[in-house]
Amino acid sequence: MALVLDNLSKRFGGVVASENVNITVPKGKITGLIGPNGAGKTTIVNMITGMLAVSGGTIRVDDTDITRAPADQICRAGLARTFQNIRILPENSVLDNILIGFHRHERCSTLSALLGLPASRRETAAMRARAEALLERFGMRHLAEYPAGGLSYGHQRRVEMMRALASEPEYILLDEPIAGMNDVESDALAVLFRDLADSGIGILLIEHNLRFVTRLCEHIYVLDGGRLIAEGAPEAVLSDPAVLTAYVGGEHA
Amino acid sequence: MMNLLLGYQPLLDLFLLHLGLAYAQWLVLRAGVFSLGTVGLAAVGAYTGGILVVTYGLPAPLALIASALSGGLVALALSVPLARLRGIYQAIATVAFIQIVLSLNIYATNVTGGAQGITGIPKTVGTPLLLVAGAVTIYLMYAITRSRLGRAFDAIRQNEAVAASLGVSIVRHQTLAFVLSGALAGVYGALEAFHSYALVPSQFGFPYLIAILSYVVFGGRTSLWGPIVGTAVLILLPEVVRPLADARMLVFGILLILTINFLPKGIADTLIERARGRRLGARRPAEADTAKGS
Repeated sequence: MALVLDNLSKRFGGVVASENVNITVPKGKITGLIGPNGAGKTTIVNMITGMLAVSGGTIRVDDTDITRAPADQICRAGLARTFQNIRILPENSVLDNILIGFHRHERCSTLSALLGLPASRRETAAMRARAEALLERFGMRHLAEYPAGGLSYGHQRRVEMMRALASEPEYILLDEPIAGMNDVESDALAVLFRDLADSGIGILLIEHNLRFVTRLCEHIYVLDGGRLIAEGAPEAVLSDPAVLTAYVGGEHA
Repeated sequence: MMNLLLGYQPLLDLFLLHLGLAYAQWLVLRAGVFSLGTVGLAAVGAYTGGILVVTYGLPAPLALIASALSGGLVALALSVPLARLRGIYQAIATVAFIQIVLSLNIYATNVTGGAQGITGIPKTVGTPLLLVAGAVTIYLMYAITRSRLGRAFDAIRQNEAVAASLGVSIVRHQTLAFVLSGALAGVYGALEAFHSYALVPSQFGFPYLIAILSYVVFGGRTSLWGPIVGTAVLILLPEVVRPLADARMLVFGILLILTINFLPKGIADTLIERARGRRLGARRPAEADTAKGS
């Protein structure tokens, strides 16, 4: 059971953005994907999340093939994501931002939602209670009613995270989650990611910050020029000459 | 006293009729569909109701149901091409749709009565029925807002990528919002027909579209109060300021420009936001630090 990219390729005309990329993200582990700017990380993310059509290869979540599935079905297959640039619903309160995360688990019929029947009201109340529990767990209960657009950067990141968790995913894709954070904030998130993995969620961490990735991941994939140039345990990968060349430059390798 | 109230009754009727269409417009905007086709769908409902009652002698309640269905079905058909468009292109496509409806009203003489419209519609709708319709409409909008549908609409309007990443089907929800809005517009078109004896083909034209849109922009696009406040103010204004009644469109225009510049979220939404700001601000001192930190 894993999130598996099998020989994934993307070509824009003659330009190869990804070629034969094979990545496996097992449950309960944090898997890292690193690479210098322009290595093709974003292309991979966009293909996994259904924002970009795949040219070749397959993507599977457990037994579900999501290679050509639209974004909303990918979520329902059990894969949640956060965005590289924070994307919250700025007009809504923090609580409402998290409530929308439960969409995948809402079952009441369209008719009862339209007519405001008890089934719909019970569902809304139940989801609110779950959202409040999440807020409690993340220490943000007191901010529930604030408009999310006015929160600090670190808090907005956490709102995004709670929203992704609300969908109760099997796997979660974190796209540069600590970009722009200071050490205190990123340390707090590291603890959180560890907890999530321990609870059985498979995490794919796409990150620039090598130190952060080395500390958290058991297995790392290194991407350069659209191809995987190395994979394995962090220490081994980071001392690999090919990786050093890609990151630091040829003359230092 | 009674005379005074009776004097304002036509105004109340007008308010209630326009309020329904304002909500039809509000609902699609809320789901992030930039449709301006509300009055076109109202025309479909009005003509369906008028033709069924006058030509086929159907009882008004049955015709009303048919009007709701016709508005919803036409909206469903229209939603197929609209789903491929975004923003201003949806607006242009829906304005084109209104033009098509207007042309059909004029040129399909056999069915729609052509330039003469439809006359001799029995008046079956009065103030009490409109009040009931208004209450039901507001309740339905409230129920939708508080349900999973309202949450999905809000997410789609603010960020489609986020909505999709959380499993919200954009096409399904926007189609649903558009069909509901179409059915609502159809009902209110028919109510207007049954309220006013006659239908004129130009009735559901550009000025009406601007009026309905103004109610929503002026009152507020996201809160339930928006259409009520917007419609009430803009309908009452020319009456309160009698000398300006002739310059109605001028006042309308100036007010809209002022609103868009200084209260871009509309009167009701801005006031609600400020009230929320004050309420949270009063609680802030103890929490300001935790909100800033970490």
